[in-house]
Amino acid sequence: VIELAYTRATDASDAIHRAEGENAKYLGGGTNLVDLMRETVEAPSMLVDVTGLSAEIEETDDGGLMIGAAARNTAVAEHPVVRARYPMLTRAIVAGASAQIRNMATVGGNLLQRTRCTYFYDTDGSRCNKRSPGEGCDAIEGFNRSHAILGASPACVAAHPSDMCVALAALDAVVRLRGTSGERTVALSDLYRLPEDRPDVETVLKPGELITAVELPASDLAAHSTYRKVRDRSSYAFALVSVAAALELDGDVIAGARLALGGVAPKPWRAWRAEEALRGRPATEMTFLQAADAELADARPLAGNAFKVDLARRTIAAVLQQLTEEARP
Amino acid sequence: MAEEVARGVPSHVTGDLGATEIALDHDELRERMSGNLCRCGAQNGIVDAIAAVYAGSGA
Repeated sequence: VIELAYTRATDASDAIHRAEGENAKYLGGGTNLVDLMRETVEAPSMLVDVTGLSAEIEETDDGGLMIGAAARNTAVAEHPVVRARYPMLTRAIVAGASAQIRNMATVGGNLLQRTRCTYFYDTDGSRCNKRSPGEGCDAIEGFNRSHAILGASPACVAAHPSDMCVALAALDAVVRLRGTSGERTVALSDLYRLPEDRPDVETVLKPGELITAVELPASDLAAHSTYRKVRDRSSYAFALVSVAAALELDGDVIAGARLALGGVAPKPWRAWRAEEALRGRPATEMTFLQAADAELADARPLAGNAFKVDLARRTIAAVLQQLTEEARP
Repeated sequence: MAEEVARGVPSHVTGDLGATEIALDHDELRERMSGNLCRCGAQNGIVDAIAAVYAGSGA
């Protein structure tokens, strides 16, 4: 039996007040946090349930979409505006987890699920710098098929597992935060920090800070976008590699592109270099492969996941080719 | 699961995200049952049984 206090917040400021000064965690759907508590990886002494906070999904005055942090993943995926204007987001969400998990998991909780691997969960048998800073990492020399090839460090090679966040990174999503010292916003891509020598610290959140909403800016590109996930099983498995992409063509030339990768890095990986390499170039397989190469130039694969470099390269090219063919009359 | 289909919730194998009606064919049923209750929720016999009950429910 794990003894802990449980309390339900009525609004954001109430949640922050309840958590203040406690060894508290905010509880969304619990699909990751409760798992980690059962395995004794996480051991908060208080849970502040924030599922009663805003779950509204509303269009904003400037043509974007505001998604309350308590919105369930399924509610976002099935929303007509998301399906029509941000299809990569629906595709990403329904590629993740299972229907039951998506029905429980909140948007805020999806963002803050732990970057993790099986060694992180193995409290009895494995060393993990994320779980016990400084003790070492058994994944680097271990079974690391699913681990990161970009952005990892000698301290941690775990990959961020979210599908939804890969689409959000590509869509320039903005995360609204609230803490004891007020409100602020952070670009989703900047919410996460790379592990370096502190893999236990995954985000730039301050103690007690709460995600209240995720905002999608208006986008001309996003309506023509998709998400492709490559995994060991066709359903209910983490990505080995995933690609969220949007493409805008001017004739045969790429006017603009948005690209982000999943399964390859400790955070949802916005592929800025690839986007730069695509802009203004002809929409050909050669261009797509060169853009992928630009992004993957810094890849540092491990013994078990070297295949991911070529898999990512080919998946990027295939998704961009698909979007190009769909755009042609 | 049947309610989600009736509501038009898309799945990973739904081709057209703009579709408001989803036919619960074999692929849709398998995908929607995968990880529902457990990982083996989409075994052939289970899929056939659900399809039979679903067809008979008038849903």
